Amino acid sequence: MRSVLRLPSARIAIGILAVIAILVAFGSTLAPQNPLAINANALFQGPSAHHLLGTDYLGRDVLSRLMAGTRLSVLTALEAVGIGLVLGAIPGIATVFMGRWFDFTINRISDALMTFPYIFFVVAVTAALGNGVEQAMIPVGILLAPAFFRVTRAATLEYARTQYVEAAELLGASKLRVIRVHVLRKVLPTIVVTTASMTAAALLAVSFLTFLGIGVQPPTPTWGGILSSDLDYLSQAPWAPFIPGALIAVTVGALNALADAIRDRSGAGTLVLADPVTPTDLSLERSVA
Amino acid sequence: MTVISLTRGGGADAASGAPPRRRRGRIALARIGGGLAVLVPIVFLSSFITYCLGALSNSNPAATILGQDAATPAAVARMDKYLGLDHSLLVQYWNWLVQAVHGNLGRSYFTQIPVSQSISQRLPVDLSIAILAVILAVVIGGTAGTIAAIRRGGWFDRGVTVVCSAVSTLPAFVVGIILVVLFAVSVHAFPANGYVGPTAGVGPWLSHIFLPSLALSLQVASDIARQLRTSLVQVLDQNYVTGAKVRGLPYRRILVRHALRNATGPALVILGYDFPQMLAGAVAAEAVFSLPGLGQLLLESAETRDIPVVQGLLLVISTFVIVVNLVINTTLNFLYRTDDGVGA
Repeated sequence: MRSVLRLPSARIAIGILAVIAILVAFGSTLAPQNPLAINANALFQGPSAHHLLGTDYLGRDVLSRLMAGTRLSVLTALEAVGIGLVLGAIPGIATVFMGRWFDFTINRISDALMTFPYIFFVVAVTAALGNGVEQAMIPVGILLAPAFFRVTRAATLEYARTQYVEAAELLGASKLRVIRVHVLRKVLPTIVVTTASMTAAALLAVSFLTFLGIGVQPPTPTWGGILSSDLDYLSQAPWAPFIPGALIAVTVGALNALADAIRDRSGAGTLVLADPVTPTDLSLERSVA
Repeated sequence: MTVISLTRGGGADAASGAPPRRRRGRIALARIGGGLAVLVPIVFLSSFITYCLGALSNSNPAATILGQDAATPAAVARMDKYLGLDHSLLVQYWNWLVQAVHGNLGRSYFTQIPVSQSISQRLPVDLSIAILAVILAVVIGGTAGTIAAIRRGGWFDRGVTVVCSAVSTLPAFVVGIILVVLFAVSVHAFPANGYVGPTAGVGPWLSHIFLPSLALSLQVASDIARQLRTSLVQVLDQNYVTGAKVRGLPYRRILVRHALRNATGPALVILGYDFPQMLAGAVAAEAVFSLPGLGQLLLESAETRDIPVVQGLLLVISTFVIVVNLVINTTLNFLYRTDDGVGA
């Protein structure tokens, strides 16, 4: 981990993410004004001393709305990533050790999930279960799971065939012990890298969903929701969407840079390309060998 | 993807001692069989998940259709029977799937319009955007990636790298909004919203879909550029490229016939990988440019919880993704077929 910090790009990325983390924890308390306070006398104002980033179509302070909106935007993305991590990484390790049919079944479920573009799947779930934060974030997490699954499985396969695992098995180590002692430690960097890049992907997904009004509705501020109202008043305030847009871009960029830095320094596997229909079918290969 | 054939399939047959034709046929058959063993479960699983979403909803379709006043228990029971909702989930799923294969996706709970009709009405919008976006992505990404690889380490190469990582941090809808600000609000070069079909004239049609397509294509273009650059750099370092140079072949020919042919595979895979994301991006483009496409239909029917429409859309979209991936895989197998008939 220390060698990662030696990279300047990683240091900048961690700095940015630390600021975001502070905003997540204290954003609404630090906000200079009430993010929901409407002021009809100050619509579409440009940046000024009183409103550092100007005001929106209801005269609300944009800076305060962005700061207050950070928590919901980031935490929902993290929730989705957490669900994806649990649903993806655990089967990813398990399939390697649990036999051919289990492997085949889980692989096909993962492939089937990958045929759904996330927006269609998530909106369909909210159509069935009602529109809400959980109804939107759980399907996002479910669709992130195949990515975690593939990466983890590929990395696990690589290490499960090593001679030291074979030696441990010959010495009578149980599967759980092999996983815990020999495999998990090696696979962990790959999982960390994937988590970082999937968090970036989840942030993009969440901001688009909130832009569409899925998951969180106005007036609750979120990055995507702020962009949505900016779009409606482009002729009055054409500069407005650049601010939340830049905030999303910087955060996503920092996460990607961090993922790249860890990948470079740990030699973790690169992301396995998804290919829903005829995947590189390691399961069949393995059964033949 | 590592198998790169030096010569085209046929010529090398005799020299490399390829398996006899009969065995080759059997290998190809086995591969098709293996492919089906993977494909069939995926088709059934994804359609089953789609159907289950509807069953998950606690809405009562019969009561919805009948309206509050007419929804007596007897009427609801009759309606359930008419809709086939009195069977078990698996039977319902099977009936739905069989109907869907025949092109019948049911009717909207509210408007009673057949789902297939609403979908085919909206499909041209997304198809126009998506096709133009793929063309733009291949042209922009392909050109940028190729030039970056040839002029490796130069200013263009570095520029492409910077632009690509910048683009990958921006969601399609933000790119769309920026394009609207730049080309529709500040400079009135393109319409900011709305859709005109190609029947109203090719010019207006193209000008209405150009900005949405561009917004949609940038992400894919940057992925293609990055991937093509990487694989082209690798290929250009191969011995056979050096060999071709030594033989005195013109550079253009080496680039097109030897290098690009072998480097496009990974870029094609990226295109297949990005395709579901492109459909999500099409929804973003529709939302930003207020186009009456499938995404709008999805959002409208999600709001009213019109389950048959949502299910139909999801089924059509996932089938579309599967078909596109099949096409790309077939292309890849064709590009990388090796002499023993087993593709890379």
